[in-house]
Order: sequence, then C-alpha cells, then structure tokens
Amino acid sequence: MTVKVEKIEGGIPHTTIMVAGLIASVVCIYLTYINVLTGTQLFSFFGGLGTVAALVWGSHTIKHLCSYGIGTGVPSAGMIAFGSGVIAMLFATKYGIAAPVVAVVLAAVIGLILGYVANNVLNMRIPVMIQSLVEMAIIGALVLMGYAAMMTGSFEFTSLTTGNVVILGLSLPSYQASFLGGALIATAFMLGAIAIQHPFNACLGPNWTQDRMLMLAAECGFLSMITAAVMSMPLIQMSAALVSLFVAIIGWFYTYSKYIELSQRDAAAWLDSKPIPEVEGQ
Amino acid sequence: MESIVFGIGITALAGALATVAGAAENTESDIGSQGDPNSQVQLAPQMGYIHRIFNKAVAGEPPAYGLWIALGAGIAWAFMAMQINPILAIVLGSGLAVFVQGVYATTAYLGRTASLAKFGQPVYVDILKSMTTVTMAHAFVAIFTTVTLCHLINAALGHPFPLPLLGIVWGIALGAAGSATGNPFYGKERQYQNQKFGAGVPIAASGNIVRYAEAGERNSLDNGWFSAKLGGPASGVCFGLIVFLELWRTVLFEQVGAGWGAIIIGIIIILVFTVIDRYIEVWARKNYGPYQKPTEEASS
Amino acid sequence: MSAVAAKPTAGSAVDMTAMIIGLIILLLVIAATYFVFGSGLAFMALIGIIIGGVLIGFGVHFVPVGGAPAAMGQAPGIATGVAMLAAGAGLAGLFGGAWAAQTTDNLYVIVITGAVGGGLMMAITCMFVTFIYVFGMGIPCASGKVLKDPITGDTQPEFKSQGTEGHGLPFVSYVGGVIGGLFGGAGGTLIYLMLLDLYKEELPGMMNALPGQVLPIAVTLAGMFAIGMFLVNAVLAAYNITGTIEGPHDPKFKRFPRAIVASAVASAVCGIVAIMIVAL
Repeated sequence: MTVKVEKIEGGIPHTTIMVAGLIASVVCIYLTYINVLTGTQLFSFFGGLGTVAALVWGSHTIKHLCSYGIGTGVPSAGMIAFGSGVIAMLFATKYGIAAPVVAVVLAAVIGLILGYVANNVLNMRIPVMIQSLVEMAIIGALVLMGYAAMMTGSFEFTSLTTGNVVILGLSLPSYQASFLGGALIATAFMLGAIAIQHPFNACLGPNWTQDRMLMLAAECGFLSMITAAVMSMPLIQMSAALVSLFVAIIGWFYTYSKYIELSQRDAAAWLDSKPIPEVEGQ
Repeated sequence: MESIVFGIGITALAGALATVAGAAENTESDIGSQGDPNSQVQLAPQMGYIHRIFNKAVAGEPPAYGLWIALGAGIAWAFMAMQINPILAIVLGSGLAVFVQGVYATTAYLGRTASLAKFGQPVYVDILKSMTTVTMAHAFVAIFTTVTLCHLINAALGHPFPLPLLGIVWGIALGAAGSATGNPFYGKERQYQNQKFGAGVPIAASGNIVRYAEAGERNSLDNGWFSAKLGGPASGVCFGLIVFLELWRTVLFEQVGAGWGAIIIGIIIILVFTVIDRYIEVWARKNYGPYQKPTEEASS
Repeated sequence: MSAVAAKPTAGSAVDMTAMIIGLIILLLVIAATYFVFGSGLAFMALIGIIIGGVLIGFGVHFVPVGGAPAAMGQAPGIATGVAMLAAGAGLAGLFGGAWAAQTTDNLYVIVITGAVGGGLMMAITCMFVTFIYVFGMGIPCASGKVLKDPITGDTQPEFKSQGTEGHGLPFVSYVGGVIGGLFGGAGGTLIYLMLLDLYKEELPGMMNALPGQVLPIAVTLAGMFAIGMFLVNAVLAAYNITGTIEGPHDPKFKRFPRAIVASAVASAVCGIVAIMIVAL
C-alpha cells in the first residue's frame, strides 16, 4: 500500500482530499439524522451534499489510479466502484444509526480484497491499485447511501423498502413505491458511476489542472443531486424535496459558472464563430 | 389467443421504438464524437491538426446511455408514482435526462479542449451553442423511445423488473449495440475520408482527420448528416432486431415445451445470424480479393 | 473509450503465490458460509453466485473487442469497451432469464434462456459489425494474431490492409462473441436467480410481510446485485486482458486462469455480503 503520487504538480495532495472527502461525506450523511431527531424530512438534502463531497474525492482517486494506464477505459473504474459499493451499502443499512460507519468499513474490506485480486492475482502491479479500489468501494457505498438518505429521508433498511405513501406501511403499494421497490437505486447507481468518472475523463490531457477537475466533480455532483431531488418527490414530503432541489440548483449554478470560468482561464483561446487558426504549411 | 396477439403487437411496437432509438443514439454520439472515434478527435490537435469538431467525451456510449435511460426511467417512475399519466411522465423524465445530457456534453467539450491548450486548440463557443442543442434533440428521441419501450415491457408484457432497472439493462445494451455498429462507420469512413477506401487507416495516418468540408470547415453537423446515411440506420436495425427477437421468442414460445421452446427458437435465430455473417464474410473475401502481399510497414 | 494513451502494465505471467492466497480467501469464504448458515439455501446461493461470477469472467475473454483502434479499422474486433459490451450482452441475457424465472421453476430452463438471450444479442451485434465493415466500408475481415482462422481455415495475412493490425471480425471472433454472450447471460442469470430464491424465502420473515408484498424488493435487490456483480467481474476480466482481445484464438486468451480465480474470489466476497443482508 505505497502511495506514489504522480504528476500532481502543486495543488492539494491526494491524502488531504481523501481525508476531507471521507469526513465531509460521512458527517453530511449523519446530518440527515436530524430528520429523525426533529421529526421532519427537511434535512434530507444533507445526503446530497454528502454525495458531492464523496464524488469530489472519487474523481481525484480516479485521476490517481488512471494516471498509471489501466489498459481499459476510465468509465470502467466507476463501474467497479459502484458494483462493490452497492453491496456494502445495502448491507450496512441494516445497522440503523451505525449504517454509514459500517458501510465504510465493509466497503473497505471488499475493496481491499478486490484490489488484492486485481493487483496480484491479475498481476497488474500498479502501486496505487489496492488503495484506489479501497477508496472507490467506500466512495461507491457513501454516494449510494447519500442518495438513499436524500431520497427517503433516512438511511435505514426499513425506510428504503417502505414507501411513505401509506402511513402504516403494511399494504402492497407501500413496498412497491419505495426506493428499493421501485429500483430507484438503479438510477442512483448510474448517476454516481458516471459522475465519479466524468471529471477525469473530461479533463484529461496535457493541460490538466486540479482545481478545474475538482470543480467539475462538484458540478457533476450537484447536477446529479438536482435529478435525485426530483426523484425524491414521491418518497418524502414535497417541501423537503423542494428544499433539496433548491440547494442543488444553487450549488449547480455556482459550480457550473465557476467551471466555465476556469475552462476559460485554461483554454488556448475562447472564440465564437471563428475559423481554424491558420498554421503555415497546411 | 387474444393475449398472444396483444403481446405480438406490443413486441412489434417495442421493436419499432428500439429501431428509432438505435438510429438516434448513433447519430447523437457521432455528432458529439463520443465513443471510440473520440480518440482521433482528441489526437488530432496533438499532431498539429486544429479542428472544429465537437469533442464530447462524457463516457463510452454504453455507460453514458446506461445513465440517460436509467435517469429518464427513474424520473418517469417517480412521476408515475405521483399519479401523473405515464406518457406525460415519460416525456418529463426524458426532458430532464436530456438536460443532464446537455450539461455533461458542454462540460466534456470544455474540459477536453481546455486540457489541449498546449497544442493551441481553441474553445469554439459557437460549437457549444449549435452542436449541443442538436445532440440534445437526438438524445431526446433515443431516451424517449427507449424509456417508452421499457415501460411497455414492464406494464404491458409483465416483466418483473421495475422501470429504472429495465432502463439500466436496455440503456447499456443500446449503447453497446449502437457503438459496436456505428463507431467504425464514423471513425474510419468519415473521419478518414481522405484515406484509401476499402482499407483500414494506416496507424501512421492517425490524427490526420478530415477538417474541411465541401465549402468551409467541417463541423459535427456534417458528420451527423453522414452517419444518418448508414451508421445510424444500421445501429437502429441492430438494436431493433435485438429487442424485437428477444421479446418475440419469449412472448410466442415461452409456453412451448415448459420453456424450452423459447430456447430452441433462440438457438435457431443465433444459427441464422451465424450463417448470414459467414456469407457476408466469404462474399467480401471473394469480391474484394486480397490486398497486395504486405511488404514493409509503409504509410500512405 | 477514452483517449488515454494507456500503456498496459499487466504481464502474462502467473503469480503463483497470489493465486494460492486468492484460492485460500475463496475457501475461507465458502467455509465461513457453511459454518454460519449450514448447507441450506444460503450455501447453495453462494456456490451459484461463484459459478455465475466465473462464467462471466471467463465469458469476457471470448468477446472480440478492439477498442479505439477498431473504430478506424486499425485493429480487429468490435469498436467499444470490452467490459461494457459484455455487460450489454449479459444484461440482455439477464433480462430474458429474469422473465423466464417468472413462469418456470426449472433452473436449467431459466439459466439457458438467459444464456441464449446474451448470445442472441452478441450474434446480432457481431453480424452488424461485419455488415458495416463489408458493405459500409468495403473492408474484408482479417485477424492480426493468427495466420489461419482456426475454425474455417481461411488465410488471414493477405486480407490485412497496409499499416494495420487487421480489421473486422473473422469467423472465429464471431463465434467467440456469441460464446461470450452465452456465458455472460448464463452467469448473470444464475446470480440473479440464486439471490432471488434466497430473498423470496427470507425477506418475508425479516420484514414481517407477506411473500407477495416483498416480491418487488426481492426482484430489485437480486437484479441490482446481479448487475453490480456482473460489472465487477467484467471489469476485472477486462483488466486481465488489458482492454482488448481478438477472441479465443488470441494469445491473451491463455491468461484466463487468472481471471477465473479473480472472479471466483470477487464473487465469493460480494456474494457472502449479499447473502448476509437477509440471513444474518
């Protein structure tokens, strides 16, 4: 588990991003517990903020891993992250208040074994492979848990499987109209899997800059949060869904305009309706 | 009997929707240079060929379409759970999914192009304005038709998977079929129009993509026009056949021989396609004939 | 997929120590399941999941994928990512298998229906790839790795255009694609079916509900886990072949023992967690 930071000139070191992302994400997911304490669902949007923190961290992990050249596309890394994360996350939801911590620990174990398998059994010999797959499994689990908390107001198994349309939660439609029964977890899976790989996939190239990629990661997170807020409408109170939507739109608008500014800063030129610049000899 | 006739009708409708979806998907991804041909659009500036082609590297087509369709399906499911009529729900879901697709398209173009600053590739804002909207329109067609066919499979044919799960399955299949069929046609035939016809692009010519049109400079709308000739329709027929035959063999033959009927029909279909494939391959060998005996690796 | 100029680092050597450690992890997981849950449904589910995962990992090695160069006719195979193409086929198979699971209880019928679904998807896709190459671009099929097609005996090098490594799908690659689809569809369906049976059995007691009520939950959980494990196995297998392979005749195909161990371990670890959700 040696860390070999490659070509990340200046900028924030990976360890800092990792620790900050982990703490911010877990804390945000825990903040949705205020829902239970206060008896409302207005604080569900913290789940979405937790996913943004985890995705920012995840995009940097992918950059870290893919700078070695893993032989296949960047998107596949996101897929393995969420494929292993979804299992850890759903198992952890059984543990009530301890769920986020259990998810982190269990995902780390799954990621560790997957990383060992990829690095040693498949003989890939990439120094950061094991660490990266551990991080990615944790991120996958946390992002899915964040979406679950945001869309249902809680991260416990019973609330994921029971719709709030029926009060007693015992009749047939209540199971079907739930986060799991309606398979909204499938949408959350893809939202996260694309959002985690897109920042690095979109920003790779010789003039890669860290702040631009991380801003894009936050933008992807908020964009996914907008749609998650819409999907939460039938599952939680409309007011809570609207609060989430409002927070997501503000965050998305800010990060998107910031990202365009940063792209403008880094681009060779910013032209509108101009021809290809003439280079002699063509 | 009536239920079988009903099932066949739904199957045909789903196949038709899938055909439209495949054609729109491939045209959309070719306008955006998504998928594998993207590598050449990315490579060209590094070889000194500055271009005005849209470079929309969101992800490979299968994961990207996995998201668009799953998202459209998820939002449609949510609206349906709020007692909104399914057609309106699917339109709203597809609309929101297209918004996400459009935002991803712009960030991908800005990101990739800004990271190529070293080679002098400028960001063309007019490309963003004119191409993104066109890809969004095509994506809407692809998403709406695919989500509708998922809804039909779930609601009318009684498949056990909920809508978003069907969305992920058919979204990835749509992207896989569309990219497999359509990518070479755009990648070889359009990007490297200046290379010899009827031969692969020599590795030495990589990056020298065609950048000028009949008049003026080529943009990605020209590429969409070109893919719509063959790559798009072929992808559409490919995905349409996949959906149609898969549903058809189940709806008609599932009850035959305790489930073995559908299996036998499926194997027969596979064998038929194998024969067609072999026929095309042999036809090409006979009619095109061998290239000259390969000499040293010479670039043209 | 992406334009990273990747230099694949995985060699073709087999690390025996790592393989043995992998097998030990596998046996530990199986033994743990046996001691905790006995030889009941949960144990059978784990075995089924491991077999399914191995089928997926093995099947990916058959799928002829050329990656980005294939889109320019520079390398043989299908022009897309191997993990996602296999996923497309396998999930199409899972779709068929899940549907069959509704009407019959016969394990063989369900799994074979899933396999045929995956094979059908690959057969149609591969046929259209050949179609586009031949009628759209005027390029015949040629392999770059072998002199003769092992199935048909067609000679390959003189059909390879200058400056390329071959192009299109020679017949052996086509057959490989179909076999890959068959394995992928069967593996995905097997994982789904095993988990579905277990969840249908255990969830009603766990959630205090009638079996009919929890069916949507059971279907979603099993389907989601089947997709998740499919992707994990497919990506691991893709790592093993460094993203591209021509089919069963490719020298890289000989690396498959590593992928089988890797898939078995990965499926066992994911499988035991998926089982513990209801059985613990």
